[in-house]
Amino acid sequence: MRNSEPGSPVSSIDGRLPAADAGAPITRLFESMRPDLLRFAHWLARDRAIAEDIVQEALLRAWRSRDALKDLSAARPWLLTIVRREHARLYERKRLELVSLDEVVETQASTGFMEPGGELFALRHAIMRLPIEYREPLVLQVLGGFSTEEIARELALSATAVLTRLFRARNKLRVICGLTPAADLAARDNQP
Amino acid sequence: MTCDEARLLIGADPGASTPELEEHLARCAACARFRDEMRSVDADIRRALERPPDIARPRSGRQPRAWRQWALAASVVLATFAVLGVWLLRPSDSLAREVVAHVQREPESWLATQHLSTQDITQALRGAGVALDITSDRIMYAQSCWFRGHYVPHLVIQTARGPATVLILRHEQLRARRSFHEAGMTGVIVPAEHGSIAVLARGAADHLDDIAGQMRHDVHWLPDAR
Repeated sequence: MRNSEPGSPVSSIDGRLPAADAGAPITRLFESMRPDLLRFAHWLARDRAIAEDIVQEALLRAWRSRDALKDLSAARPWLLTIVRREHARLYERKRLELVSLDEVVETQASTGFMEPGGELFALRHAIMRLPIEYREPLVLQVLGGFSTEEIARELALSATAVLTRLFRARNKLRVICGLTPAADLAARDNQP
Repeated sequence: MTCDEARLLIGADPGASTPELEEHLARCAACARFRDEMRSVDADIRRALERPPDIARPRSGRQPRAWRQWALAASVVLATFAVLGVWLLRPSDSLAREVVAHVQREPESWLATQHLSTQDITQALRGAGVALDITSDRIMYAQSCWFRGHYVPHLVIQTARGPATVLILRHEQLRARRSFHEAGMTGVIVPAEHGSIAVLARGAADHLDDIAGQMRHDVHWLPDAR
């Protein structure tokens, strides 16, 4: 697997297609969604280069299975699902080297790292620090627009377990926003 | 619907609305307030998710080539000049940025819950040229931190509206009060008898001037400090 150039379009797909297919509506549709997919993959993988690999593989997989996409208006959730599965597959297959966020954040901080207009700096890093079991449903819900039931189906969890994870994810982020954490209601019922 | 059920639903999806939930909120002010808070948090989460932090994986195990080493050395020299230039020409708001950056580097300071001993506080004030009138039971965190070439006391004080961070900046002269909002923190820096005092809180806060005013009373600037 290789990294594509940052910011490159799905042109790597185009390059592998016959000229006639490169300009096909479905290819253009996939291309238009690349920034969304990349952002989604980045939040899952916590690494830009890995996210680009994931999106690249996901788009190739999607293109090969394009006949399965009957309704083009459903392309976005369909592609997001493929990206999520590609991330899970990559994670299982390669046992990715974990990125030490503490180390990275510390490095950035120690060199005076500051985002332009960085009011959301702490919140972004807190989301990145969320364990994957909390981060994944949150990103699926907020960025992907998936319902609780859809997330439950995708993650093979009960709807209650998804609610619990979403509650806990937001509860952890409440603190970053200067609020006191709410009582962990799910813990009383021994939810996962 | 019980309060627990309502809060689980709100925490999981602050935008959700069902007849049962609305009925509960109509008669439960605490849960209604909880939903307002969570909707505000959720708006920030949505804004935050719009752009991931640009975190690069640290590279390891790769031997740099000779030209890379030279390039690196040149970069270091250039960076040194650039930093020096920026420092010499630093804009007036760089103090606020550096205060925020410093507080960000000590995130654990916000989480301190134990009261400190007088000795801990004395240790934090050592070399800063100040003494404090404030009672130690309100101070949850106290460190002597290296900031802009000097050791400065970095305190977290418990207030009725949550923790507030205070940096006593004897060597930073200000002509006028300065307020800022950055990285999820709200802050003010106010001129004091000698130097200035920075006060920060997480999230929106409108009580910082009160704290800063109180600190100006509570801080005594020692005459023999350099």
